[in-house]
Amino acid sequence: MVKQGVVPEDLNRPFFEAANEGRLVIQNCSACDRLHFPPRAACDRCGSGDNMEWKQMSGRGKIYNYGVVYDCPVASLKEDLPFNLAAIMLDEDPGILMYSHLPGVPADEVPVGGAVQVIFEATANGQKVPEWQVVT
Amino acid sequence: MAILISFDIDGTLEVGDPPGPLTMEMVRIVQDKGFLIGSCSDRPPSSQRSLWEEHQINVDFAVAKHLLAGVKSDFNADAYYHIGDREDLDRQNALRSGFEFLWPDEAAAQPWFLPEK
Amino acid sequence: MTTQMAPESMYRSTEGLGVWEHRGKVASVGIGHSPTARRWDGRAETSVGALSIQALRTAIADAGVSPDQVDGLVLVPVTTTGAHWPEDQPVPMDVVNAFNPTDDPLDGVGQLSAEWIIKNMPELTNVKFTMYAPGCMSAAIVVAAQAVGDGLASNCLVLKGWHNLEGRYNHGGISASDEVPGSFAISPGRTLWGAPGCFGTALQFAQYCTKYGKNHDMMAPFMQNSRRNGLLFPEGYWAQHRPEQLTPEDYLSSRWIAKPANLFDNDIPIMVAAAYLFTTADRAQDMAQKPVYILNHASSRGVARSITPTLEEVEAETAATGRKIYEGAGITADDLSFENMYDGFAQFHQFHIEGLRYRGMQPGDALDFYQTDISIEGPNPILSSGGNIGSGRSRFWMHTDCMQQIQGRAGARSLTGVKPEIAVSGGPMPMGGNFTVWSATPD
Repeated sequence: MVKQGVVPEDLNRPFFEAANEGRLVIQNCSACDRLHFPPRAACDRCGSGDNMEWKQMSGRGKIYNYGVVYDCPVASLKEDLPFNLAAIMLDEDPGILMYSHLPGVPADEVPVGGAVQVIFEATANGQKVPEWQVVT
Repeated sequence: MAILISFDIDGTLEVGDPPGPLTMEMVRIVQDKGFLIGSCSDRPPSSQRSLWEEHQINVDFAVAKHLLAGVKSDFNADAYYHIGDREDLDRQNALRSGFEFLWPDEAAAQPWFLPEK
Repeated sequence: MTTQMAPESMYRSTEGLGVWEHRGKVASVGIGHSPTARRWDGRAETSVGALSIQALRTAIADAGVSPDQVDGLVLVPVTTTGAHWPEDQPVPMDVVNAFNPTDDPLDGVGQLSAEWIIKNMPELTNVKFTMYAPGCMSAAIVVAAQAVGDGLASNCLVLKGWHNLEGRYNHGGISASDEVPGSFAISPGRTLWGAPGCFGTALQFAQYCTKYGKNHDMMAPFMQNSRRNGLLFPEGYWAQHRPEQLTPEDYLSSRWIAKPANLFDNDIPIMVAAAYLFTTADRAQDMAQKPVYILNHASSRGVARSITPTLEEVEAETAATGRKIYEGAGITADDLSFENMYDGFAQFHQFHIEGLRYRGMQPGDALDFYQTDISIEGPNPILSSGGNIGSGRSRFWMHTDCMQQIQGRAGARSLTGVKPEIAVSGGPMPMGGNFTVWSATPD
């Protein structure tokens, strides 16, 4: 599956630059030690905007749950229908979720709660994004 | 040569919402000519059947959109056509299901729909 | 007159506010609905502006007031069901000029301003208060109720209109582009990963089924009941255009959109408008219809921690919403005769009613409850309006039904298993919405 190309912006550029380097980084408020994803201008807990840093993650997580997409608005993904779309909880903080197509897992054969490991996948314009593979 | 035609309803048949260019009379004409006919729509199968009954047309099948491929396996024909007005839900679905595809206006111009002389 | 968006201070969105200061002092007395259509056919008389005028005039007449007695108007300026007017297509000027236009040609076609309404309803000669509410009727009701209670208006119209254009919404624009901004790629909702609109709810429902051992088939009685109730709602889309029951077989054999959400778990977008007339409890005594008193309004402002709300976040938020609803109304769950919480994805209705603890429900109970008698004839009616599933996407059937049931004019949809005295309606989302408690009496 080739995802649409991604053009990073100031707020999320470190996330995408790290992805190109094969690293998963998540925004963290160093004032109150709280992770944030998607990135935001200020901490949603302490309100601090000056202490948002990027923190490297282990790249390990678990599958929260999933759906199987049969009718997709994104033109470039339609030829791959149906496909899995799972929410991944990071091991460092299960409150942080990331989407995944779970490459290699047949549609609707997703092990809910199963362990996953991050990989990095090139989108249509070469920008890499995190994806997740089931750990067997 | 046996031909099977699957009609989408909305945007395809005159009784659809929005109405399409294919009239119920045209459907009757191809049925009289021996075509296998039915509907494949996002309308519930029970309401598809009611619609046909209302127009006193005895169709061979009435199925949900994603079950078009099953129509091909259930009926023996030399050619399978689906007529519909949506790129993904009709054209791509038809091609994936092994059907040939016609847009409603293209279909309306087919000689099939001309009455026998 | 400049019309502002309602300030956040008009909403009751936190717990601990106590009983609403205007409890029982504001009432709804008039209801007006336009006809429905699947999509706009391009004519002036079927535009969202025309439908809205029709609904407003009907509500005024229904209340038995003269137009010059109306002094307030609260409306939702956004009218789209999801499709916006295409940038490369000119707005049809014959339609625009069939009305008294404002500076924005989309007014009355693809949006609504208070200015447009006033210009095109010259009989409204005394409107002194206008205000916008975001999103849907649920918000407009809250704003209008608060405005009447605060004395900003005495006879206040509340309006929501919807336009629905050709095409499959969300399939064009950024979904069809080769590149997307980084913020879109990792935003909640639609993203690089191709989530359809119902995906977030489908994911919560999947987790609900995992957590409580339920399955999608258990939704079938709810869906059948909703369509049945909708077919008894003469103002609704299905009743007007395609009076067809939805059988369990129809529902369960439908194609998936994002499994476990299928086609019928999504509502059908339509053209329609509705309006209500709110007034003070005192003035309501002299009007044509039995007053339906507002005991409280409450709002939810849940924020997901990450990219999509989890089931656990939803359950916490709906429980808080339930507490706010009861606290401000001075009632308990036992006082509810019936409920009309939102369903415009069918799969979150159970989150709303479990949050309410309706009929003693706890989280995880609703799908079992759906297997019992949930009809309008039974003691535990569920969504007597039929909601969006029963009548199309308007997000206001549930409000109209609460009023009509309490006024005793719900016709064939009338509740017979309970006496309709106190009800709650509202939505849309479990993580964010606005809710109203309606009552046959002011106390």
